[in-house]
Amino acid sequence: MIEIDWSAFARVFGAALTGAVLVVFFYAFGLRMLVRAGRVPRITSAELTDAIMIVSKKDIRRAEKAKAKAAKRPPTTRTQRRVAFAVAITSFVLCATAIAGGLFLIVAGR
Amino acid sequence: MDTAALIVALVIALALFFDFTNGFHDTANAMATPIATGALKPKVAVGLAAVLNLVGAFLSTEVSKTVSHGIIREDQLASAQFLPMIFAGLIGAITWNMLTWLLGLPSSSSHALFGGLIGATAVGVSLSAINFGVVLSKIVLPALIAPVTAAVVAFAATRMAYAVTRRYDGQSNGRDGFRWGQILTASLVALAHGTNDAQKTMGVITLALITVGWQDASQADPHLWVIFACALTIALGTYVGGWRIIRTLGKGLTDVRPAQGFSAETSTAATILASSAFGFALSTTQVASGSVIGSGLGRRGSKVRWRTVSRIVSGWVMTLPAAGAVGAAAAFVVHGLGTAGVVIDMIVAVAIVLGLFLWSRRDEVTAGNAMSEVAESGRAVHVKHKSSPTWRRRRLDRLKAEESAAKAQAKAKAAEEAPGAAREDVAGAEDVAEAEDGARVEGVARVEGGARVEQDATSTTKGPR
Repeated sequence: MIEIDWSAFARVFGAALTGAVLVVFFYAFGLRMLVRAGRVPRITSAELTDAIMIVSKKDIRRAEKAKAKAAKRPPTTRTQRRVAFAVAITSFVLCATAIAGGLFLIVAGR
Repeated sequence: MDTAALIVALVIALALFFDFTNGFHDTANAMATPIATGALKPKVAVGLAAVLNLVGAFLSTEVSKTVSHGIIREDQLASAQFLPMIFAGLIGAITWNMLTWLLGLPSSSSHALFGGLIGATAVGVSLSAINFGVVLSKIVLPALIAPVTAAVVAFAATRMAYAVTRRYDGQSNGRDGFRWGQILTASLVALAHGTNDAQKTMGVITLALITVGWQDASQADPHLWVIFACALTIALGTYVGGWRIIRTLGKGLTDVRPAQGFSAETSTAATILASSAFGFALSTTQVASGSVIGSGLGRRGSKVRWRTVSRIVSGWVMTLPAAGAVGAAAAFVVHGLGTAGVVIDMIVAVAIVLGLFLWSRRDEVTAGNAMSEVAESGRAVHVKHKSSPTWRRRRLDRLKAEESAAKAQAKAKAAEEAPGAAREDVAGAEDVAEAEDGARVEGVARVEGGARVEQDATSTTKGPR
């Protein structure tokens, strides 16, 4: 009779889901806070493949209009931006900790 | 040197060559996405992948133990009987890898290795020498479950990445920053690759050493020199294989957006690392493909192209039995002809190695590219350029429409209450139409009264949203 440890598959699924969700959440939240802190990440590359890529002149006009509209809103205060930046850094640190913790568990489990 | 020692030396040489091709084959799994999204320069990416594969090979030896102590009941076999079968199995794996590479068929190096070993053992020794329980629980089931796990995890991660960074105020969402994150996640995939793929070769060499009596059968861990040799070989293969990544960029992966790529890679790394810790011997290509499909589905407005998916999956399903058949054929030659069979197999192996080398020297881009399987997975999901709006966007649009309706209603009401202003308004509208004829300035001056009415009406209709 072949014995299969189904719980091992469930544990792999649980570990992978928890690990990936934690890493992605902390990183994405860090980015969001970074934008709130007024430090929008910009990376120049040969090909811009991001979802926000502007392709047509119409899109550019629309984006400029939206930008002007957003600029009319009351800006965040300096303190708010500082707090957002601190939260962003904390979030990135938590993301790195989640990765390091996962690796530690694998090495420790040898 | 006696025949057994010679065959062990041949097994080690072939296994290390297989390890090299594995690194060569799979560099792109880790590094194609960050290069495609511009997060890393190709040379840096390849160097980083090589170093991390080296490190990863030292992190865990669970998969190695599965290969050396599980699939085959080596403790019940005589070395003279089993050693040539490991050799035949390796030939089966390398031949199948080579064939699929040349023909551009989706395949998995890992399953080719297992298939070769199982096929050779079944023909050269007997079916009872194979531990089918371990084959099912540690190879077949993980092969079926892991890509699905990776797809589900990638789907959830992608959804979350987009949801957390989505903005409705027209300001930048900062998703460009995922390109930085991809350096980290791609490194994790390279590390995970080292923890799983380098182990398989370690397992085969350890199996050969145990069979010939050079390592204690109760000792499952590979020797330190075996770990070093395999780690260095896979790292070297990874580095040399880098040039193929550049070719891959034009093959469909450029459609992977940074947020999507980040989530897919995190899912791949998490699934492989968790599986390695449990000793499941996975195919990194299959897991990476599952993640790419899952992350594609995680983007709004996406649809699966089942025909592409079925083509990829059928290639995977075929690998184990096909490599098994080639391994069995090689074992049949050894079993029937003895030492002469080993020599014939060796000649075939050298021919295959030479063919592989010559193939790698050809400056030609074909469907048999190293990354074709994963790159093709990117095309398994169709994402609409204009996806359906989120529930929040729909709510905002509805509110906007209600606001416009209220404005129009207020304007009509104001027109009823102040007929003079309304007349001016209508006249103003007529003037705007005439603006093309040069009467615009006058019309705008006359419409001012009506505009004021509209502004007042708007301020009264704006309530809490």
